[in-house]
Amino acid sequence: MVVRQYNEELKYLEKLTPYSWRIKKGFQPNMNVEGIFYVNQTLEKLMLDELRNACRPGMVGGFLPGVKQIANVAALPGIVGKSVGLPDVHSGYGFAIGNMAAFDVNDPKSIVSPGGVGFDINCGVRLLRTNLFLEDVLPVKEQLAQSLFDHIPVGVGSKGIIPMNAKDLEEALEMGMDWSLREGYIWAEDKEHCEEYGRMLNADPSKVSVRAKKRGLPQLGTLGAGNHYAEIQVVEEIYDKWAACKMGIEEKGQICVMIHSGSRGFGHQVATDALVQMEKAMKRDNIETNDRQLACARIHSTEGQDYLKSMAAAANFAWVNRSSMTFLSRQAFAKQFNMAPDDLDMHVIYDVSHNIAKIEEHIVDGKQKTLLVHRKGSTRAFPPHHPLIPVDYQLTGQPVLIGGTMGTCSYVLTGTEQGMLETFGSTCHGAGRALSRAKSRRNLDYMQVLRKMEGMGISIRVASPKLVMEEAPESYKNVTDVVNTCHAAGISKKCIKLKPIAVIKG
Amino acid sequence: MENFKDSELVLAPCKYEYLDHTADVQIHSWGNSLKEAFEQCGVAMYGYMTELPSVEIKQSAYIEAEGHDIESLLFHFLDELLFLFSCEPNLICSRLEIQEFITEGEELRLKCKCYGEEFVIGKHPQGTEVKAITYSAMQIVNEPEKNRFELFVIIDI
Repeated sequence: MVVRQYNEELKYLEKLTPYSWRIKKGFQPNMNVEGIFYVNQTLEKLMLDELRNACRPGMVGGFLPGVKQIANVAALPGIVGKSVGLPDVHSGYGFAIGNMAAFDVNDPKSIVSPGGVGFDINCGVRLLRTNLFLEDVLPVKEQLAQSLFDHIPVGVGSKGIIPMNAKDLEEALEMGMDWSLREGYIWAEDKEHCEEYGRMLNADPSKVSVRAKKRGLPQLGTLGAGNHYAEIQVVEEIYDKWAACKMGIEEKGQICVMIHSGSRGFGHQVATDALVQMEKAMKRDNIETNDRQLACARIHSTEGQDYLKSMAAAANFAWVNRSSMTFLSRQAFAKQFNMAPDDLDMHVIYDVSHNIAKIEEHIVDGKQKTLLVHRKGSTRAFPPHHPLIPVDYQLTGQPVLIGGTMGTCSYVLTGTEQGMLETFGSTCHGAGRALSRAKSRRNLDYMQVLRKMEGMGISIRVASPKLVMEEAPESYKNVTDVVNTCHAAGISKKCIKLKPIAVIKG
Repeated sequence: MENFKDSELVLAPCKYEYLDHTADVQIHSWGNSLKEAFEQCGVAMYGYMTELPSVEIKQSAYIEAEGHDIESLLFHFLDELLFLFSCEPNLICSRLEIQEFITEGEELRLKCKCYGEEFVIGKHPQGTEVKAITYSAMQIVNEPEKNRFELFVIIDI
């Protein structure tokens, strides 16, 4: 890392608009392209504070600030356009979290990086609607929260209840949601409203280590811990009535269910294995990066291809996982209301992936190019008429689901043409952390956080008390700031605001 | 249940702490030898998954790890411990004893006896799930002449 005074560092940053900053070449060595990050005034301060802290002399055990990481990604071979930081950006492993970068597939030097996807491959958000309204749910809110908590296995060491053996797992890895459909866990329409229709076709389970499969098998159909959750939410605001109607959201007060989870230990192990492999490939192919964490391999190398195939298997695992929990949520609602999930109209509105790499077609400098787009803590947001979005959303643009944190609101946005041009059709993914976990544990009190939730009318079921502090809203950037920045910058458009009334967490 | 000698049931004093990191957790461990710092680091990781006082020593398992430098040895050591927890026998450990510890030469290697019991929801409070071990900002202080042995590792959670 280049060590300079904070004031010197600032010379490499330039405010372009009230909502975006340019990172000039030279901020980090060997930058092939410039960087850009989107922030409003509040988020800007957090971003620059992180940089200022890292510039303090005599830092021990420190880590790279997000803005430096965006610049390091801009130095990777084969990158095109810009290295983009979304408003929820913060320091991560190699890539910042909230960082997207695209690489030209036809450039032999281009790379794929597991750090650009993250450990939780195909971590994402799914939103189910219901035809219930707040007044239907309020009288049974506690029972419903408890029932969801009883149905969905959560937290460290929990095991899935969907019957699975090793052979089932192989099939699920290959087939993704087609497996869930065949086994009767989901509805055919669910697939329509998923990115990639819930199945990455290049998945190859034979490229996945036994170790990953062993970690994955018991965890299929579990929510996990950390920032993952299942929430019962109520529509609080509708900004775009027409687009909301297309999603089956009629008016304020309607009840939805949001599930935020990923590929569990399976994906984590796939990522870990790939990082070990790629370290060797980097030495062999003389790939130089600014940071050891940016382990990568050429897209067309064996390691690169193997990673893409196993990543696709992990992506399929994650869709099966979210589908299994969709099934369990439908069961919980059906039992509570004594009605079939069909009659409750519990359709999937959409399912997004915010930790993934995909091959997509984009226009770069007026030419169509095939790119490998890494989105880490960033959600795809395709505009209206894009061929890869479902028929139902052809006119509105792709629904983009932004999960809030425990107790704060969540949003549904839609993709825009401007986002397609500026950020390769990408936008933010959530709130993004502001306080460290250790600091949250020290500064916040468990009971206080719980009481505050109760005061806000939120029923909460959580496996780990410590997590309550770590995941308290105070620990995160304000999701409303993040979403408003995306809206103001034009890279996606606000559609619906949702507020939780029950939270189930690890 | 296995039989253990009394000496095998004695827990090591706590020589680790959790440091600030925005998204994840940074473990800082130390000891009178590099070996001890390694053992402490492993216990610290388990300590984030549950409350260690709830763990009884009822069974044990051996793990082995290899590496081409001390960083990768530490990485694989923690990865093995995480795997021991994530799959059969789902062991959560409160005591680690590294029995072989070769940190010189081409192939670095260690063998560790892990003491604990199967993780049971209800008995063991659920802490935070560890997704993976990272090389991110990993630091190893190995200065025998000053008797300083410290490790810094970020675990992804």
